Amino acid sequence: MPPETAVAGIILLAVTAYAILAGADFGAGIWEFNTALRAPKRERELIYHAIGPVWEANHVWLIFVLVGLWTAFPAAYAAISRALWIPLLFALVGIVFRGVGFAFRSYAAGAVRQQAVWGAVFALASIAAPFFLGAAAGAVASGRLAVGEGGTYDGNFVTGWVNAMSLYAAVFGVGICAYLAAVYLTREAKMTRDRALEESWRSRALTTGAYMGVLAGTGLALAATEIPALADGFRERAWPLVILSVASGAASLVLLTLRRYTTAAIAAAGAVAAVIWGWGVAQYPALVPPAVTVENAKAPAAVLRAMLWAIAAGGVVLVPSLAYLFYLFKGKRPRETDETGSTAGGDER
Amino acid sequence: MDPSITTATGFTPLLAARLQMALTLGFHIVLACLGIGLPLLLVVAEGRFLRTRDELWRTLARRWSRAFAVLFAVGAVSGTVLSFELGLLWPKFMGTFGSVIGLPFTLEGFAFFLEGIFVGIYLYSWDRLPPRAHWLTGIPIAVAGFASAWFVVTTNAWMNTPRGFTLENGVVTEADPIRAMLNPAAGAQTVHMIVAAYLVAGFLVAGAYAVERLRGRDTPYARRAMALGLVMALVAAPVQIVVGDWAAKVVAHTQPVKFAAMEGQFRTEARAPLRLGGIPDEEAGRTRFALEIPGGLSWLAYGDVDAVVQGLDAVPEDDRPPVAIVHLAFQVMVALGTAFVALGLWSLAAYVRRRALPSRRAFLLAVAASGPLSVLALEAGWVVTEVGRQPWIAQGIMRTRDAVTEAPGIGWVFAGSMLIYTILLAGTAVVLRLLARHPLPRGLPGEPSGPRAGGGTHAA
Repeated sequence: MPPETAVAGIILLAVTAYAILAGADFGAGIWEFNTALRAPKRERELIYHAIGPVWEANHVWLIFVLVGLWTAFPAAYAAISRALWIPLLFALVGIVFRGVGFAFRSYAAGAVRQQAVWGAVFALASIAAPFFLGAAAGAVASGRLAVGEGGTYDGNFVTGWVNAMSLYAAVFGVGICAYLAAVYLTREAKMTRDRALEESWRSRALTTGAYMGVLAGTGLALAATEIPALADGFRERAWPLVILSVASGAASLVLLTLRRYTTAAIAAAGAVAAVIWGWGVAQYPALVPPAVTVENAKAPAAVLRAMLWAIAAGGVVLVPSLAYLFYLFKGKRPRETDETGSTAGGDER
Repeated sequence: MDPSITTATGFTPLLAARLQMALTLGFHIVLACLGIGLPLLLVVAEGRFLRTRDELWRTLARRWSRAFAVLFAVGAVSGTVLSFELGLLWPKFMGTFGSVIGLPFTLEGFAFFLEGIFVGIYLYSWDRLPPRAHWLTGIPIAVAGFASAWFVVTTNAWMNTPRGFTLENGVVTEADPIRAMLNPAAGAQTVHMIVAAYLVAGFLVAGAYAVERLRGRDTPYARRAMALGLVMALVAAPVQIVVGDWAAKVVAHTQPVKFAAMEGQFRTEARAPLRLGGIPDEEAGRTRFALEIPGGLSWLAYGDVDAVVQGLDAVPEDDRPPVAIVHLAFQVMVALGTAFVALGLWSLAAYVRRRALPSRRAFLLAVAASGPLSVLALEAGWVVTEVGRQPWIAQGIMRTRDAVTEAPGIGWVFAGSMLIYTILLAGTAVVLRLLARHPLPRGLPGEPSGPRAGGGTHAA
């Protein structure tokens, strides 16, 4: 495999990790809206408990994607930055306020009004970030950005990303986050041994899952009619991933019904991963279609090789650390009532 | 769009983009320093607890860990802003050189990853892990913070001394990422920045508790917290003088124009004087009102009082940075650095005589002031390296005005950013204040029992 293909694959892997991990953190924030209005306190505590220890690590996948893109494919990074600067800026504002909203909400223990304000900021920003990131991804997938080989952009800064495919992807992005969060939180709710909590998350997951199935079907139809190049890619290469995605998504619903929550979570994540890989494989070798490709945007070979070595070396440290983090906080064991984000500041009372 | 056209917001796109970068980087750099320095303080405090079983140490570490959690979250998002902005504001620069400086950024990505992972573990496993294991999970945070800073600053050093690439018709055709990372400015600049981080973090912590003590809450908790921060800062201060001298010598050799601006040296001359203070007059081409030490600059830069120092006159006006800002910022940084060493000598003298830090009002006031002043020194240093490099984004290779985005409306982005960063700053201050007001646990040695009344400081 040429080094540029390997690096492109690793970047797509990081995009996938960001979607199925950080996406669920955004989703938890989206559900904050629903739970804020009518749910008992323990539902919101579950949200804070679930994402507190992991959201910062999950967020780093995005940094990894950005750095990987500008290092390995600088022209692609420049093209996206130029063409999609407005949605990226909005997504960035969402990312900023999601992070600080969550942190301030967690650590403003005791100040009720402040917690309410920061909680609302957290919820709104959690919607904005995946919405605008989705819109940017949709604009890339639409293949209509007037980018040049060297990473230039001659198109309009608004119409480039305000179109059917972009708006669809924006909504789909928010939907993915909400679905993943609901499935993961059902699993976490079961660990609290609170039956009512488990049931309410389970029904949310099932409902969202059904909506997502419809939405995904719409997306395929949209891609087939609106984006011929992408549709060809799906027909020629990426069709097994479409089948995998549909099967995983359906399986996640069945498993939820059967109360097999850990496997349901894996299936739901698999469905999302298959969508992302389907998109990637279908548009390969284009990075920002039509003009910017893996071949014409790639960095000099020495850079790509150095990057692969750096990733290999970094992975040796990263993988066990990440495994330890998830083992500690997401492992299968009954929840203890220790200090967590939602009650941080409370241990000395 | 022509970058020199003034937009509706009154800024040229270039000025708006530079202000935007200055605002967001100037904000992040303070949080980055705390992200490097605070974990070390946490590890030391918790380590002291493990050794002495003195609950006061544990209380310190545990309360600081929450302040750190808030600051780390703000730092993580303000750092993310920068990763986006590099492309959004300087697409030509990133599109051309992104690959050359990508290796250290990739490695930094891993360091940040480790930091994020272990911050999660450290903050949420106080009661989940045995004490010793918990302490151990703090160490990767401190190490990763250090490593992050090193990698990121090598890329800024690369902008000062670009190496390791072949440019043909504006496209990088070959690159040597290792050589780019280990560019001539990297060593001095990274060490200078990391020492600054320990200095700033130490002074901010010590300053906050000095304020608390000045307000009459002279508890053993506040005394120990102040002492711990102060020791870190005061050890860093003299080291910084030596490192700063090294960094200045590197600038003299690699960026003589920046060096001339720092020193207000307009004419190329032998036996150049060292100027203390002074106001550079760019029209007249001389620095007025400075206290001059004959031959001092030649000696400092090249170790020979008769050495020739290149002046600003060696390059066309178009290639010179704004001299007055650079010279002033440099003078501020050097003066403050010297004052910090003096504060260290004062502390040391008192400690040698009485085995304790001074606790009189004048000393506490000096420590309280050192917090914001260390931030001022930090920002001044950053101004020296960034403004001093102008008009280049990559010294001698690409001009800043050629790298800036063509997108309209950057002035509005800047206005919006000012609002957002004001909210971030206010939110951080309010939450830290809430944490600081949280009562200390009962029964600490020397503490009055029962919760204390309100009134807060900016420290946890």
